[in-house]
Amino acid sequence: MIGNIEVRGLSRTFHTTVRRPGFAGALRSLVNPERVAKHAVSDVTFSVAPGELLALLGPNGAGKSTTIKMLTGILTPTAGEARVAGVVPYEERERNARNIGTVFGQRTQLWWDLPVRESFAILRDIYEVPKAEHATRLKEFDDLLDLSSFWDTRVRHLSLGQRVRSDLAAALLHDPPVVFLDEPTIGMDVVVKEQVREFLRHQVEERGRTVLLTTHDMTEVERLAERVVLINHGRLVLDGTLDEIRRKFGSTWQVRVTLADPHTEVGGLPGIALLRREGPHAVFGPDGPDAPTVHQALKRVIERYEVTDLALDEADLEDVMRAAYVHAEPAAEGA
Amino acid sequence: MSLKALRIVWRISLLNIRAAMEYRTEFLLMIAIGAIWQVSVIVFATVLLARFAGMGGWDSSDVLLIPAIRMLAHGLFVLFLGRMHFIGRQIQEGRIDVYLLRPMPVHRQVQLDYFPTNAIGDLTVAAGLMVGALSRSTLDWTAGRTAYLIAAVIGGMLLEAALFTAVASACLRYPAADYWGRWLEELLGTFGSYPLNVLPKAVGGFLTFALPLAFVAYFPAAVLTGHDTAVPYWLAASSPLLGLVAYVGARGLWRWALGHYTGVNG
Amino acid sequence: MASVLHGWRAARVTPLGELHTPPRMTAVLLRLTVQVVLVASLWRGLYAQTGTTAGLSRDQAVTYAVMAVLASRLRELDQSAGRDMVLQHMHFGTIVYWYLRPLPPQRYYALRALGEQLYGLAWALGGYAVCLAAGVVEPPASAGVAGVFVVSMLLGQWVLYYVMLILDQMCFFTIRNNAAMLILIFAQNLLSGVYAPLWFFPDWFITLSGFLPFQATLSVPLSIYVGRIELADTGAQLAIQAAWVVGLALLTRWVWRRAARRVIAQGG
Repeated sequence: MIGNIEVRGLSRTFHTTVRRPGFAGALRSLVNPERVAKHAVSDVTFSVAPGELLALLGPNGAGKSTTIKMLTGILTPTAGEARVAGVVPYEERERNARNIGTVFGQRTQLWWDLPVRESFAILRDIYEVPKAEHATRLKEFDDLLDLSSFWDTRVRHLSLGQRVRSDLAAALLHDPPVVFLDEPTIGMDVVVKEQVREFLRHQVEERGRTVLLTTHDMTEVERLAERVVLINHGRLVLDGTLDEIRRKFGSTWQVRVTLADPHTEVGGLPGIALLRREGPHAVFGPDGPDAPTVHQALKRVIERYEVTDLALDEADLEDVMRAAYVHAEPAAEGA
Repeated sequence: MSLKALRIVWRISLLNIRAAMEYRTEFLLMIAIGAIWQVSVIVFATVLLARFAGMGGWDSSDVLLIPAIRMLAHGLFVLFLGRMHFIGRQIQEGRIDVYLLRPMPVHRQVQLDYFPTNAIGDLTVAAGLMVGALSRSTLDWTAGRTAYLIAAVIGGMLLEAALFTAVASACLRYPAADYWGRWLEELLGTFGSYPLNVLPKAVGGFLTFALPLAFVAYFPAAVLTGHDTAVPYWLAASSPLLGLVAYVGARGLWRWALGHYTGVNG
Repeated sequence: MASVLHGWRAARVTPLGELHTPPRMTAVLLRLTVQVVLVASLWRGLYAQTGTTAGLSRDQAVTYAVMAVLASRLRELDQSAGRDMVLQHMHFGTIVYWYLRPLPPQRYYALRALGEQLYGLAWALGGYAVCLAAGVVEPPASAGVAGVFVVSMLLGQWVLYYVMLILDQMCFFTIRNNAAMLILIFAQNLLSGVYAPLWFFPDWFITLSGFLPFQATLSVPLSIYVGRIELADTGAQLAIQAAWVVGLALLTRWVWRRAARRVIAQGG
């Protein structure tokens, strides 16, 4: 089974009812609802190669979850086409279901009233996994996720970290070539996050699974993804490596200074932008295509201001993404 | 409750009615189904009592008073204090934690959670039944008797509210206690409408002292119509007062349980 | 055969969940006992001044009422505790997982219901054995009656399954149908004869309920058991029950398709 994902011109429009304000408005809406169209995803094209981990990024409401729902077959696109491991998901939902594993971080698929291991047994039965194979895989997952310490506990009594680890295992027990993860590590502590990342890396590198991941955690993106697809307002903004994103939206450098006088007015240096300012601390980055090199910038900053401390570094990914999200907005609005 | 608090309660109630209308299908469906429900209840209550005329020494002109008081009390309970039923779900979803953060009594916030559209149906049926019972009644409806009837209905409402508030207090500690709330509702519905002296002494005693269902409608109706009951007259006659006492006690229990509330899911 | 058994473990969810929560089982036992005692005393009390009424003698009425309590145990669990009701899945957004598995949601639902009804059957049978030994209920008049009763009860449970399914299917279209559901549950209880045998109601009410599926769930099998429906007349009743099974099967199948379309249109 070759687990590649092909998405071409994928679009999805929702029709919702607008509620009129006020009591009289509510009455009027009862009789004559007013409907509007919302373009959640418009003309998105990308592909994921077998054994690749791709991070699907974008601000809240950008259309990430809608895209994942179309690729898992629970939402039909209004236009365009998608193929997951050679299957059109929304046309052959059940065939697609055997090829994919899915985790929606906030929602569990485990049976609330039963011990975790019973949920695994039910899923083994539903996906028709041979007993021996199931046992082997469960052992593998236990080694990586430490499931056995809590798998006899009922789901209602699990902590969030335990529950999401169980959900991850549940989604992969039938050995799917393609895995969809919608914010899997949301709300988890750093130790569990690291454990989950290690698990995912193992699944991609050792088991050759194709993973499509959405997350707001940039550390996760840096640790796991070589390639990212950025969408905003339902449109694809960028498809490339992290380096490409850095080059396009990110300052390639940052100069952090501590000013001797916290009340100093800063700014107005040609080609140098003030990125952040908190009291005496200021962070500068390149501004526009004619930005100076980091050494020139350093020289200009020191010449202009009196500083007591100074550091140089590359911009972190969060800054890059912030720039990318803000940058992408006017273009999407104009389209 | 101050005037300002009353105004807030009124405003939120209006919002709740509006919220109920937001779900178009649901709202319209409720109105349609309400009609079927009303007919069924009246048929059930009247037919069965008519079929066993003279049960427990009550003739049919008197016996209708029991379901009439019980249903009117129940309708008022659902409208004013009825949100205590499904509190188990609210507790499991952590809503109580949210309520605790707001500057309004938790009990009031629970009551203002949604508008009980079904109460309209309940009250319509109950009022119809009460009119029917009074028109068939051969009693002389003096001012004193009428006042007692009104007190009995209010007392019945408070007693029912007290029982559900007690279950809700238990739910704060054990959300699964919700299950008992549903049973309580079923028991009240099934056994609330009969003269309980048709039951063996032990069973009647259970429905009087273990689960004080007899005080909701049976005892007040017996006092109004001059029937003897298994308890002394003064006890039966003080049913409305007992309802008030039980409700005050239950609210105390609720406050205590809320003070010991430890939250759900750790 | 493999395809029939495929996913059978879903049927174990309810019994397993109950076995893992002993307090819930104690609660069921207590509630069932109290309910049987209360119902038996009530009907004996009601009959104290009356002989046979509506064609039912005292013993027939008591047997009917107690059996109704036992039978309603078949599918009257605290379903919300397991967070596996359609209503809850719609609320928590977890309904998507039903559509992400190679097992069709309708088959999963049927398996869950089957497990639940078999588990309830164990309770009902246990209760029946105790009541029979204690003389609260009468044994069936003949082996023939017993046989027809079993067939009719089976069909009745099948109809009940579809009635409950329709209630759950409503959740796909209107999430906030809690109150509507309560009313429909009441209608089911009233019109199936759980509260009181339908024979006590006026003719127009019996005629009306003849057009609805509810009486096929309980009233018909219990009336056969106590002999209120003569053995000779049971053929027609069984045929009507079977007709409801077929009709509701077609209806619910159509609704499942609509529900799937709705989930797929809105993405759960």
